[in-house]
Amino acid sequence: MSRDGLTIADTDDAERQRRIRDRIKRRALALFGAATAVILVVMFYYPVWTVLSEAIFVDGAATVSVFVEILQDPFYFGEVARLFSGESPITVFGDLLSSDRQLGIVGFTAYQALLSTLLSVVLGVPAAYLLARFDFPGRRTLRSLTILPFVLPSIMVAVGFYATFGQTGTLNAMLGAVGLGPVDLLPSLEVVLVAHAFYNAPLVARLTTAAWESVDASAIETARSLGAGPFQAFRDIVAPQLVPAVVMSAALTFVFTFGTFPIVLALGGFELATIEVFVFRLIQDFSYAEAAALALIELAISLAILYLYLRYEARQSVENRGARPLARRRLRPPSLSLRELLPRAGLAVYTVIALLVFVLPIGSMIYESLSGPTGLTLEHYQFLLDRQVTGAAFQVKPWPAIRNSLVIGVGSLLVALPMGIVVAVLTTRRYRGRKLVDAVAMAPLAVSGIVVGLGLLRGLVFGVEIGGTRLALGGLAAIVAAHAVAGYPFVVRTVAPGLSSLDARIVESARSLGASRIRALWDIELPLVWPGVVAGAAFAFAISIGEFNATVVLASSTNQYTMPIAIERFMGRRLGPATAMGVVLLVVTSISFVLIDRLGGESRGL
Amino acid sequence: MDSSIAVELDSISKQYSTIDAVSNVSLSVREGEFFTFVGPSGCGKTTTLRLIGGFEACSEGTIRLFGSDVSGMPPEQRNVGIVFQSYALFPHMTVGENVAYGLKYTAGPDDRTDDERVTELLELVDLAGMQSREPASLSGGQKQRVAMARALAPGPDVLLLDEPMSALDAKLRERLRVQVQKIQDELGITTIYVTHDQEEALAISDRVAVMQDGVIEQIGSPRDIYDRPTTRFVAEFIGDNNVFEGAVTATWSEDGTHYADVDVGATTLTVAVGASAPAVGAQLLFCVRPERLAPGETNNRLTATVESTEFLGEATRVHLGWQGTELLARMANEPGDSVTVGFDPADAHVIPDSR
Repeated sequence: MSRDGLTIADTDDAERQRRIRDRIKRRALALFGAATAVILVVMFYYPVWTVLSEAIFVDGAATVSVFVEILQDPFYFGEVARLFSGESPITVFGDLLSSDRQLGIVGFTAYQALLSTLLSVVLGVPAAYLLARFDFPGRRTLRSLTILPFVLPSIMVAVGFYATFGQTGTLNAMLGAVGLGPVDLLPSLEVVLVAHAFYNAPLVARLTTAAWESVDASAIETARSLGAGPFQAFRDIVAPQLVPAVVMSAALTFVFTFGTFPIVLALGGFELATIEVFVFRLIQDFSYAEAAALALIELAISLAILYLYLRYEARQSVENRGARPLARRRLRPPSLSLRELLPRAGLAVYTVIALLVFVLPIGSMIYESLSGPTGLTLEHYQFLLDRQVTGAAFQVKPWPAIRNSLVIGVGSLLVALPMGIVVAVLTTRRYRGRKLVDAVAMAPLAVSGIVVGLGLLRGLVFGVEIGGTRLALGGLAAIVAAHAVAGYPFVVRTVAPGLSSLDARIVESARSLGASRIRALWDIELPLVWPGVVAGAAFAFAISIGEFNATVVLASSTNQYTMPIAIERFMGRRLGPATAMGVVLLVVTSISFVLIDRLGGESRGL
Repeated sequence: MDSSIAVELDSISKQYSTIDAVSNVSLSVREGEFFTFVGPSGCGKTTTLRLIGGFEACSEGTIRLFGSDVSGMPPEQRNVGIVFQSYALFPHMTVGENVAYGLKYTAGPDDRTDDERVTELLELVDLAGMQSREPASLSGGQKQRVAMARALAPGPDVLLLDEPMSALDAKLRERLRVQVQKIQDELGITTIYVTHDQEEALAISDRVAVMQDGVIEQIGSPRDIYDRPTTRFVAEFIGDNNVFEGAVTATWSEDGTHYADVDVGATTLTVAVGASAPAVGAQLLFCVRPERLAPGETNNRLTATVESTEFLGEATRVHLGWQGTELLARMANEPGDSVTVGFDPADAHVIPDSR
């Protein structure tokens, strides 16, 4: 009797457990979505809201007066401000075309972002041509390393640019060696633009390379057989397929450079001020309402650009599965005809420019790390080693910085991947307004970094009081979550295009064969978009490795420092150890990227 | 509840924003039956199949599988296999892994191992020994058969086939048609088939549902559908047909059969109308198959001009111009010829629904 009773109870129990498991499996995707939403609200939307709401609620009442004031202030909007004050568009437009036009802070920010975007495209597309159309030893490694500029903390980039373009920099040394005069390039808008291109041209190159590699060779062969010459075939078949990738990367570049801050501050001198620089100054002056309103205007412009880009991306998703890619050519010309020589000569010129823009700043930094008062030396590395071995407990040591960076990097990658994949799944379903949802999910790319930092400080570290208890958040877990929030939009952008081009029937087949939605995602969709997943993982890792603000703000104890923070701490004393630490960061992340990229094969996304 | 009913659609409808893809469809498919939805593209047949498979939810109505309501049940719990037109093979898995995929989640119908089950199914679809091939290396017909084996592997209660052959060439289609029929017969599995090819529908099915604009026009055996269409649409969609319409001028009966004279413009035609006569003056719709129009027939003679001919192999389809409309016939004439054909009043079929 009792045995029977037990068995029945057991089967009941097993049955109940199976039902619960079933329910969890069916709701797994929704659970992941909810977790993503919670992380976003806690680590992003709420903190950002605590800052931005200052612009809307003045003395406890909602108002738009702060916005109106900014919009009508020529200091911010230049001639356009008169438009918002009610002047006729025609006279304003006429004045905008005149030579003594006033752009204002917002106008200048857009202007430098536009120029930076153009320069990034001009420097990025030839790299894509080289990477997509030619084969040479080390091509895949070079392709993996194009992500490197992305991870460099801006502080390092500034150091590298000073070491290159400064009065006593390597450029002047090289010019001096061939008898040309020293040039004074810093500070200037031009160097700011080059630094922006240093960051963003690789992004253009990566996206365009992927698009170029997915061009179907048989489409070009068809065009050629219909009478098109090589140039016409490129113009009619290849170029239209590259344009979407170039536009997408240009839009992202514009958004990134529109929110630029440390580069302008470090390389632009006092005359150049972008919106972000002003937000920073206003916050320093405790003008929170004006700072928040300005940051909101910045956000609105950035989000509008992102939304347009997403609309554009949605129309561009082309079916290129099973396409036969163009055969790569060898760098050594097979014959000495003009047709073979001309593109290679162009690439040679480009390589010189690329060496100057991308390699020289990094090289100068490495050189700086190896030079002392008496010539070449390893003393800075010796310093790092000594510090590691004999440093006091409160001092910043290299190994914990490397270890923390890697742990936080991997941790935030592991959080950002599911977040990005879930959002990609949810935004590739068809429903009204999904592009709006997509744009909002991309907001971490567009919100002022200073506002996020301040929000994290005020909203999380200082905490909120709920029912008499103060809830505060900080420490490693919070750092990981903040990094994941910053990195996950890249996962979305690398995974979503692949998902939306998959045949929905493949997933439906898996479902009808007994796989739950989440199993089908795991078994079928993710393996098929794997290169995009890996590319997104690389970006998430990169963002985490280079992140500075949130890490500083959220660190809850003195030993929670990462490589960029170590660089900043060392820099307080002398440049040498800082550059040596920068080289360590470069080496660690280069190895990580080559490893990550090898996992994924050739990527199709970002 | 009749236990032999496998799939029951109880007044189901599906709306996409403002479009009615399926409206108020009710029907039952018996266990072991080969049931086909046929209709032009956009008629709602694929949507109906997707509703049964659980890939879409009904806007209204209920679907029952073996008596139980499956509303809100996700596809993976319905135990329904599906083969798509695009095959939808998992491109990153081998043929063997594709077929074995469903066995991961559902134990097969017997206690054999997965490998044995895969071998058995590949034998069933004539692809023995192809386990380790990549889907990309297969021909269209082979892919289609792998998709079939994959859908059958977990032993589904119902097999759904969504235009599985329309991407294949005609000869292969005919061969696979026979094979699908053979497999269905062997396994006795309830099969629901969707096609736009009416010839395929007639050849393969136990019963056929003809759909148009989301509505079922007629359900019946292939012979019923062909010989006794109940709507003008079915008469014209299924096979070649000549449809006439006119007012009844006289009726009479002879040997228990009623006849009517119908004024179809300049000519009066005599047709057998069955057991009851229509009222004089009523509009009557009837059809005559092209093969019933014969030059030697003395009744209902029509004189027409040959406009064009299509050589079909076993017969020639002749387009005749007659009183401003087109008639189809089977004969061997040249364009421009004047011909006279007639038909037996008993060969005319009266279409009850004159929609």
